[in-house]
Order: sequence, then C-alpha cells, then structure tokens
Amino acid sequence: MTSPEDRRKFLKVGSIAAATGFVGNLLGRNANAQEPMKHSDMRHQDNMPQPIGNPASRPEIPESVEVAAEYDGFSRFKPSRGLDPDSDYYIGKLVPGFRKASDGPAPFEAPDIPVLPYKMEGGVKVFELVSMAVQQEFHPGVKMNVYGYNGSMPGPTIEVTQGDRVRIVVTNELPEDTFVHWHGFELPVQYDGAATLTQNPIKPGKTKVFEFDIHEEGTFFYHSHVAMQEAFGQVGWFIVHPKKVFGPPVDRDFGLLFQNFHIPPTHTISDSWAMDWNWHTINGKSGPYTTPLVCKHGERVRVRLLNFAPMQHHPIHLHGHTFWVTGHEGARIPKSAWVPRNNELVGVAQASSFEFIANNPGDWIFHCHMIHHMMNHMVKQVGPRIRDDASVDQYLANLSSRPQVDASLGDKFATPGYPQKMLGMEMSDDFMKAIWSRKEVRGMRANYPMSVKGLMTVLRVLPDDLYELVMNSDQPVEKGAVFAEIVRRFGDPSAYEPAPKMMM
Amino acid sequence: MASPIGRTYTSPPPVPTAPYGLDELDPSGPLFPDMRYDGSDFRAAPAPVYVDGEMISEASPVDAETHGYGLDDFLTLAAQNNPTIRQARLQISAQTAKALQAGLYPNPTLNYIGEQIGVDVEGDKDSPGEFQGMTMSQRFVTAGKLKLSREKYMRRAHVSEHLAMAQQFRVCNDVRIHFFKALAAREIVGLRKELLKTAEDGAVTARELYNQGQATRPDVRKSSIALQRARLDVLTAENHSREAFRRLVAITGVDLSEGVVSGDLMPQGEPISYQEAMSLVLTESPELAAARAKLAADRVTVRREQVEWVPDIVAEGGAGYNFDAKETVAAAGVSIQLPVFDRNQGTIRQAQLDYRRQQEEIRRTELMLGQQMANVYQQYLTALQIATEYDRVIIPEAELAYQELLESYKANRVDWPTVLDAQMEYFDSRLTRVQHLEQARTNEVLVRGYLLHGGLMAAPGPTPPGHIDAVAKPR
Ligand SMILES: [Cu+2]
Repeated sequence: MTSPEDRRKFLKVGSIAAATGFVGNLLGRNANAQEPMKHSDMRHQDNMPQPIGNPASRPEIPESVEVAAEYDGFSRFKPSRGLDPDSDYYIGKLVPGFRKASDGPAPFEAPDIPVLPYKMEGGVKVFELVSMAVQQEFHPGVKMNVYGYNGSMPGPTIEVTQGDRVRIVVTNELPEDTFVHWHGFELPVQYDGAATLTQNPIKPGKTKVFEFDIHEEGTFFYHSHVAMQEAFGQVGWFIVHPKKVFGPPVDRDFGLLFQNFHIPPTHTISDSWAMDWNWHTINGKSGPYTTPLVCKHGERVRVRLLNFAPMQHHPIHLHGHTFWVTGHEGARIPKSAWVPRNNELVGVAQASSFEFIANNPGDWIFHCHMIHHMMNHMVKQVGPRIRDDASVDQYLANLSSRPQVDASLGDKFATPGYPQKMLGMEMSDDFMKAIWSRKEVRGMRANYPMSVKGLMTVLRVLPDDLYELVMNSDQPVEKGAVFAEIVRRFGDPSAYEPAPKMMM
Repeated sequence: MASPIGRTYTSPPPVPTAPYGLDELDPSGPLFPDMRYDGSDFRAAPAPVYVDGEMISEASPVDAETHGYGLDDFLTLAAQNNPTIRQARLQISAQTAKALQAGLYPNPTLNYIGEQIGVDVEGDKDSPGEFQGMTMSQRFVTAGKLKLSREKYMRRAHVSEHLAMAQQFRVCNDVRIHFFKALAAREIVGLRKELLKTAEDGAVTARELYNQGQATRPDVRKSSIALQRARLDVLTAENHSREAFRRLVAITGVDLSEGVVSGDLMPQGEPISYQEAMSLVLTESPELAAARAKLAADRVTVRREQVEWVPDIVAEGGAGYNFDAKETVAAAGVSIQLPVFDRNQGTIRQAQLDYRRQQEEIRRTELMLGQQMANVYQQYLTALQIATEYDRVIIPEAELAYQELLESYKANRVDWPTVLDAQMEYFDSRLTRVQHLEQARTNEVLVRGYLLHGGLMAAPGPTPPGHIDAVAKPR
C-alpha cells in the first residue's frame, strides 16, 4: 500500500482489517521511540470520545527505508534534542525523512494554490501565465476583489528543476499595463521585468514571451513589478528543485505564502495605497480558513514561507517543534550556517525554509507572532459585543428604534484595561460548515476556528493510522476525536478537557 | 505628585445626571440612575423653576391615559367653538340689521303750537294767544333714498358673508397648520429620544474605550456634553410638542386636556402646481369675493349719494283754536329744502372715489395674494422636494448604511463608534424629514386654503376704516 488511493480504498473496506495490517507492520526498531500507552492503561475517561483509528498502533518506520528511530539521542518519534549540539543530528538537523533521496524531491505542496501546467516544446518547458483581476474567497463567503494570475490569487505555482529552460508566455488581461518580474533569477536582463528600466510594459490584451535557462535552485517567486499590483495580490511561487536532491531528504515540502491587504469594512476591494493592513492571508485564505499542513509522525518536513506583505515583516512561530532555518529565498544555506529556531523573522519579500522532524504528534499552531496579525481587521472591542445581555441582532431586528443601552458598566469595569480578550466575530452556520468541510481539519477540537485567525494555520502531526483516517478515508470523524486520540496515546488522558460545545 | 492623571489609573469622568424633568418624562426608563463612577457628586442638572414658591413641573401625563385626536376632531371642535367664526356670523346679522334700519321710513312729528300768547285784547287783558293747536308734520322721502340705503347695507351684509367664509377658512387652516405642527412635534420627540439613546450609548462607549486606553478623559467629557445636549434636545422637543398641542387647542376654542394628536404627516394627494394654486386662489378666494361684493355695495353707495340732494318734502297740517277769532281754525305748511348750495356734490364725489378705490382694492388683493402665494408656494415646494427625497433616497440610504455597518460590526470588521455615527445620521435624517414634512404640510394648507390663516384674529368688518358711516341714521 503505497499510493494514497490504495490506502483510501483499503480503509473503506474496513478499519479492523486496516488496524490488523498496521499492527503487523510494527517494527522492532523503534525501541527508543515514544511508547504508546499500553492497552491496560487506556482507562476510558468519561469525557473522552471513543478511541478511533488503531489505538494499538505504534510509531513505525516504513520497511522500504533505512532510517533509524533515534540518532545520537534525538528521537524522530518524541520530543528530544539529542546529546551534542555539534552532532549532525542535534534537534534532528540531518535526520533523514522516510523518503529516499533517489525518489527525487518531495512534491511541493502549497495548500489552496493550483500548480501551473506546462507543455514541453523542443526541450523547453512552456508556461502560460495570464495577468487578470480575480475574486478570491478569503473567508467562506467573503469574496475579495484582487489581482492575480490565471484566475488565482496568489498565482499558480511554477515548479521546475534546476537546469530547465523555461518559456513563459505572459498575457495581460488587465485593463492597464503590467510587468512581470522573476524574483531572484539571474537571467538575461531583458527578461527581468523591472518596469521600464529593462522593458516596455505588457499592454492590456498583449502578450510577452520570457525565455531563459535556470541554473539556480531554491525558493523563488514571480510578481508584477507595478507596486500597486503587487500590493493587490499579483504574486506566485516559482519553485526550482535542485538537480541533485539535497540531503537529508524531506518527506514534505510545504509552501505558505503570506500576504496583507487593507479592505475597508463592508468592502471587497483592497486599498493598495493603505498604510495599514487589516486582512491577512496565507495562500489566499485567512485563518481559520487557512488549510492546515498535515504530516505523519516522524516525517522530515520542510516549510517554505514567503512573506509577500506590502510592508510588514512577520515573526513566524511554530509550536511544539524546534526547526532549522535551512535556506532563504536566495539559496540553500550551507549546513554549518543553519540556525535552530522557534521563531523566524521573515521580512517583506523574503522566504525562509524551515526543516524539522515532526516528532511531536498533535495540532500545532503555526503563526505570525505580531499580535495584530493574529486576527483580521482588528477593531476596537467596545459596544454590544462586550455588554451583558446585548447583541447586534437586537439592533438588526428593528432598525427604526434602537434598544436602550444599559449604562451600568458593571463591576468588571473596575479593572483598568478590561476587556483585553478579543471577543471574536460571530461565525455563521455557513461559515462553520465551510471551515469543517475540508478533510485537513477533520477531528480537530470543536473550537479550533475560534483560535486560528489571520496569519495563522495549523501543523498537524498525526500517527499513520490517524493520518490515513483524516486524509484518505471517508469515515466520519467527530470533532475533537483525533485530538483526543493523540492525547490518549501520547498525552495525559486523565487531564483531557473536551472543547465546550458552545457554537458547534 | 503633581497630577494623578496618567500616573496611575484614574476612573473616567462620571456620566452627568439627567436634567430636571427628564426622568419624569419617561418613567419607564430612568437614565443612568444614580450613576457614580468615583463617588463624586456631579450636579449637572439645571436648577428647577419656581413660580410663587411652587416648583413648576412640566411633566406630561402618561400617553395611555390621553386620547388620540385626529384632524377631523379638531376641525369639528373649532367650527363649533371658535369665537371668531361666531363673530363673523354676527357681523352678517349686524349688517342686515343696519340695512333694516337704513330702510325705515321717518316717523311723523306731532307739534303743539301756541302763537301770539299774551297779545292784548279788548278790556286790556292778555289773551291766551291767537292760536293754540296741534299739527302733524311728515317728511316724505323722495328719489327712493330708503330703498337704496337698504340695498346698500344688504350688499354690505353680503360682503360680510364672504368675510365669514374667509374667517372659517382662517380657522380651519389654522387648525390644520397647528395640527401638523403638533403631529410633527410629537414625531420629533420620538426621534429625539432615539438620538438620546444613541448619545447614551456614546457615553457608555466612551467609557468602555477609556477603560481600554483608547479614549482620553477629554474624549469622555465630550461624550458627556453630547449626552447632556441630547437630553436637553429631548426636553426642548417635549416642551415644543406641548406648546404645539396647546396652540392647536387654543384655536378650537374649547378647554381640552393635554392629549396626543394622531395622523399622517405625509401629504396624501398629488402635489399642486403653481398655476393650479394661483388660479384656485384667484377664482375662489373668499377675500377676493368679499372685495368684489364690496365693490357692488360701493356702486349702490354712489347711487345712494347721487339722490341725496333730491329734496324731501315735509308737509305739516293740523287744527287749533284761534282766540282772536274765537273759532277753530286749521293750519298747513309744506317745506322743501332748496338745493341751492349743497347738492351733496362732495359726498357724491367721495362715494365715487371710494368706488374707484375699491376697484384698486380688488387689484391690490389679487396682487397681495400673488405675492403671498409666491412665498408660500416656494416654501411648500422646497419642503416637499426635500421631504420626498429624504423619503425616497436619503433615509433608505442612511438606513442601509446603518444596517451594513451593524452587520459589519457583527462580523468584527468595524468598531462600534462608527456604527453609532451611522445610527445618529439615520435618526437625524429622519428628524430632518419630519421637519420638512411639517413645512410641506403647513404650507400646503395655505396653498390650498387661499392663503388664509390667523384663526384667532378678530373677524374683520365689511368696510375699511374712514368710510361714510358716521351718520346717526345709516344711509
Ligand atoms: Cu505578521
């Protein structure tokens, strides 16, 4: 069972059979892996959901690969550091993923962004890119007017391999001039796309062909070289895989593209002239509509993170893991210069590559640490929202006569600074339905949408069986079930707290 | 420590207490009852008003106990009780009485005559007189003077009938105008109360913001000022509403307890064009009709004065005893005034000039009505245009803006002060609409009601001052 499709079919046949299969696959090599709870320990907590997946499964290493569960004191299956900061395996630095280097680079995966297809013409990869106005759904039902490419904002991902020759046919369907810049490429100057310095604009309705050899590898991007068009969303990934895959091989290669917009209340058009930015998107969606990154327990994961905000830098924080910064947008960093971090500041138009071993199962928040970026369109939290027994619906029910305000501010206002909690937006049923309709979020805690906002997404590290259940099966998964199962196996079930059923 | 402000937490300024009278006005909703943020004694209430040692309460009775009066109620009451309507009717009767008087035939005169009393007679004794007797004299009126006089005053009575009609319009128009004013004032009270709720919310919001470091103490004080102003606006509107109702009641001429008016401010019919309005007033104005009737009366006046010089014949006759002749004798006489010098030329001329003056008066009245119409129609049209657009565009837009911002607030996209601004604009535009509807309705009443108003001015008589009236017997 190698392809996801096979696994999916298999799981549909029956989870018991699947469970048996997984038990049979357990390897003796993970002696030092984190011990799952023994069956006898699995007290049924009254407040815990029923076990799901294969509760008896243990962290496993696929038979086909020659990797270890532990390297010099670092375990790929439980939080650990290793024994020696100078070791190649300290914090999993060079611990390989399950994927074999010979299989080539792991597929690049930027959730919610399509891949730009190409045709081979005489040894040249030919891409067609169309610059156009796009409607992008930042939140369920919240469709914003932006510019992008080929109907997508951010534009579709161009993915090539070092040494390729590319021809990119750019058509301008905007009603105004545009330029496209291939950010970071050392290409012949007439294809650089710097507005009027090196070329004439691509006029509305016109097409321009760019053709160059790619000798670089790394994380690149293309964008309009008209400032307001950039701020209006015109950017896309340009990923160049190395000809010779770098070690250690990674199992996952995720891309997160951060952008900021200023869209006034009740509006859908971003003010690209704005000096502050109230909507924040990752791959064109804003938390909680951002799609979680889902990987398997023990995998080596790379996240390429591009900050394409108009003017704000983002300190990016990943919970539950310490990652190595292995590259910026310019090139891969020699291993001697890699830096372990919990938080990496990614400046405007910078990209950082994070690599780590996903050795801590759970749903881990992955976010910009700027307070105002951890939510959208931050507004002053006063009015009915913070008043007892007042709601906006009362106002909406009768516009011609407003309710009387209760002037007694209450004892809580004796505390200077109250309230500090963001009493978040009311999420409609349709909103919640859309949030929960994606397979990547299955089994997360019921109020996860309350906490993931703005420049936030989630890294889900799942044991194999739960990964299959979430990503490849059609089995219904209750909200919170996967989380509870991880607590049951790796945490402290006696301290398990279910999510309050307030709004689901 | 120089100032505690900014060094540590200082509580926001307290919400001012409601002005005197406000809490009585709305017993259901005490405004910020005993609000104290820091225990301070903030006395913001204006001093109560005392008259003769008694505190004057402007509290109005609760709506539930009062009767809602419609326009027709007031029109009926006014038609029956307004004194000027009765005055005007009495003026008609007064003129017909004058006509009666003017046409009465002169009474005969009975004379006792004793002549030559004490003349000597034989025997050297005084005689009781040559003639002692009674005569009767009678003036015979010529040239139909009495008939003309009566006709003249009957015509003046006719003038009074038109004037009574005008007075009726004055009263009814005034009832309508003050009814619409009262109606508008009542609606404005409601909207002022909505605006007060918004200002209250503004005061609460400012304190909420203050507690998050997002508003300064001066910001909070500003909200207190806005709140107090809104409260005074409510009081002003309440007082104005009461005034409007009392003025309305005054026109009806009855003592009516305080009540509420009920009706619709929106004009019901099609708007009237300027041409229609002018032709209506020129053809149907009772004032013009009175002026024309007066011209007819003046024509008769001329005719009456033209015959004044025709001499009446005064005949006298009687019987008595002649003590000289010692027999009964008769006496007779006829007198006639010879129009040698006074042929009433001056008064005839005056009457003719009065007649011409009245011709000019008709023209003057037409022009004056035209001038008033120009002004009133402009106000009517402007107010109607504004009210219509408030109804058609501005208020729906303001309402949608308010609604969109509420929804935006619900979606956490806009902050509450912005919503409050939109709310205030919405209520304020409704207020403006009512004010212009009031203008439109009151001026419409004048446009359709021959520009007549002033239902408590004394009803005018049929003649202007300085007319030939200062005669013992009207002629
Ligand atoms: Cu940020």
